[in-house]
Amino acid sequence: MAQSELVKKHRVRELLVALLPIAALAVLFGALCLVVNIKGYRLDMYLKIVFNEGVVLAIVATGAIFIYSLGSFDISLGASTLFSATIGVMVYNASGSLPLMILTIFGVAIGCSLLSSVLASVFHIPVFVTTVAMMSVLSAVAAQIITTNGGALGGIGIPATVVAPLDNVPFKLIALAAFALLCVFVFDFTKIGRRLKFLGSNAVCAKLSGIKVNVYAIIAFVMAGLGVGLGAFLTLVYTPSVTPTTAGSIGMNILVAIVFGGMPISGGSRSRIYAALVGGFSYILLNNILKIVIDSGAGYGISQIVSAVFFLAVVYVTSMNYRTKLLPR
Amino acid sequence: MKTLKKLFALLLTLAMVACLFVGCAGDTPATDNTPATNTPATDAPATESGTDDVEPIKIGVLVADVSGEEALAFRSYYENYIASNYNVTFSYTEQLEDAAAEKSAIEKFAAQGCQAILSFSSADRATQLDTCIANGLYYAVASGMLDDAQFETYKGSEYFVGQIGPSMDTEYEAGYAMGKYFADKGVKTVAMYGAFIPNPMHVYRAAGVLAGLGMTYGGASEKDAIVGQIFGDQGIDPSKVGANGVELIGYFQGFGDTTFDELFAMLGQGPDAFLSVGMATTFFTDALNGAGVEFSDIDSFTSANGEAMANGKLVYLAGKYSSSIGPIFAAVVNAVNGHPVRDAEGNALSISQDYLVATDADSFAQYSTTDQGDSPIFSKEVLDTVIGENVSYDDFAALVSADRS
Repeated sequence: MAQSELVKKHRVRELLVALLPIAALAVLFGALCLVVNIKGYRLDMYLKIVFNEGVVLAIVATGAIFIYSLGSFDISLGASTLFSATIGVMVYNASGSLPLMILTIFGVAIGCSLLSSVLASVFHIPVFVTTVAMMSVLSAVAAQIITTNGGALGGIGIPATVVAPLDNVPFKLIALAAFALLCVFVFDFTKIGRRLKFLGSNAVCAKLSGIKVNVYAIIAFVMAGLGVGLGAFLTLVYTPSVTPTTAGSIGMNILVAIVFGGMPISGGSRSRIYAALVGGFSYILLNNILKIVIDSGAGYGISQIVSAVFFLAVVYVTSMNYRTKLLPR
Repeated sequence: MKTLKKLFALLLTLAMVACLFVGCAGDTPATDNTPATNTPATDAPATESGTDDVEPIKIGVLVADVSGEEALAFRSYYENYIASNYNVTFSYTEQLEDAAAEKSAIEKFAAQGCQAILSFSSADRATQLDTCIANGLYYAVASGMLDDAQFETYKGSEYFVGQIGPSMDTEYEAGYAMGKYFADKGVKTVAMYGAFIPNPMHVYRAAGVLAGLGMTYGGASEKDAIVGQIFGDQGIDPSKVGANGVELIGYFQGFGDTTFDELFAMLGQGPDAFLSVGMATTFFTDALNGAGVEFSDIDSFTSANGEAMANGKLVYLAGKYSSSIGPIFAAVVNAVNGHPVRDAEGNALSISQDYLVATDADSFAQYSTTDQGDSPIFSKEVLDTVIGENVSYDDFAALVSADRS
């Protein structure tokens, strides 16, 4: 009896902690509405801006969940987004074909992701190390292409009219929902998700159970590549040009978004697809609230400092129910 | 008990965050991106930009550099001088990293009720303009210029106020004048710093320096041919430089872990002069003064550069001055007040603005002291001559091109 009560109490606590990121998202949404109204700004425009800022991060981070669930860490996703978009622009400018550009973007994104995975498998080095190398290479190559072809403009682009009809909330919402549903299906309703979580929880046990690590690592990177491809395309939809700094902050923001969403960086059984969506938009909401509220005349970077404090607080709260356990996984 | 401790720690953390909020919040109304909004001075006189009983003009400012001495001088001129003399408020962005950040910042300014955008950021000018047009905001380029094709596309838009700043031709001419200065001085060997080539501004300046020194690049001596090759090479390849009396003994660009090694290796060869197309005064002043090598740069009239010219080896500076952004503000005020300045064909303003050149401490002091505090070169009295209903394109051109030396 006492034991069942303990189990019940533990489950309630776990549920509360799991719901905390969603509650935080709701609170942040309310806070944004409040500060925008107090300032007398246009709320409808602000909500659209927040959505536009958050959608690419949420999509790329959602794909990245597959890699993070393995307990791996890919820091090259921002550079992959830049590289895919760059090649896409080059292909469009050479062919004038939008479908070909889209196919190229997805192909390049998945290719980059697979290359990281294969390099890690072949050379038996940690994925993190290969992605650091990929980040440097992809950024440098993209910058070379952009500056060589961009000339005095400093960037390359496609005509704005090509993608302007797609630069609206309904289209982006459909893209986000479709990709999220695909990820939820693969992650929660197929053996792929279960095995990825198993690998992330205990790779040795998973291997001994007959799970092929390399196969599932490749699947995880393909899913991440799909997210990068969609993110790169939506980046071009929002601003039809790329410069060497495009998507530069996505790599680190994914990490923050996933933590804000309540998922441990160590991956494993606590991995959740919704963590990227919830965390991505929470992070963007928080940033916007801070920028509205804080007087930057007091010094640049104050909002980042406050954001970092929130980050630590969120990590502390979300780790409360497993941090002290002997075997957290 | 343990849980209570944890909650107490969390509460303390949140209290700390709350304190940060309170401490950082100013009395002035905050805005997104840079809430450092300057409320107009209560004693601001009635002007074309409005009177005290009229809502101030709200202008959003896009910036890619938030900490450079030049950027701070520009900001100080707008926020301290202009805002206290005109009925206007400025809202600044934080450091804009890319085109998406620029577009988002413009949309936020629109949501905040701004009427115009002044842009010091250049990741994607075309998208900036498209976003302003879509949101009904006036747009002006405060630093640099659109390329010719972009200007042709947007010059007829009612929301494009115009551009006043150094054109790429002006950048080339500034580099050319610097190179010629040293060639005329009789130097035999020079070292060169290409700053952040392939940044277009630096490419054009570097091409001008080579031409001014009487050098060819890849056999070419014409501006466009040199510029095209530098873009293609992503820098200057010393093996392609054809000497003609002056020898280029070393070249480097960028800034990283090995930059000072490259610099000292070059200085070890004993060049007569060190020519930079930007940022040398920020990075290398102490090293160059220490090596006793005369150097030059294209930068701005900052106090650090004044010190280097008075007591160091800086012998040539082509620079911007803080109030050089005054005329474009005047053009924005006119547009917001309903009488935009257009050329005879109804196109937006496009006026190239030259650099001022100092070659000694006296000329440096003349430009820097006449552009400070309450008496900038483009003072209220000067700007008022081009703010109003009956101001023509020629009036602006005459104001900008007048000799300020």
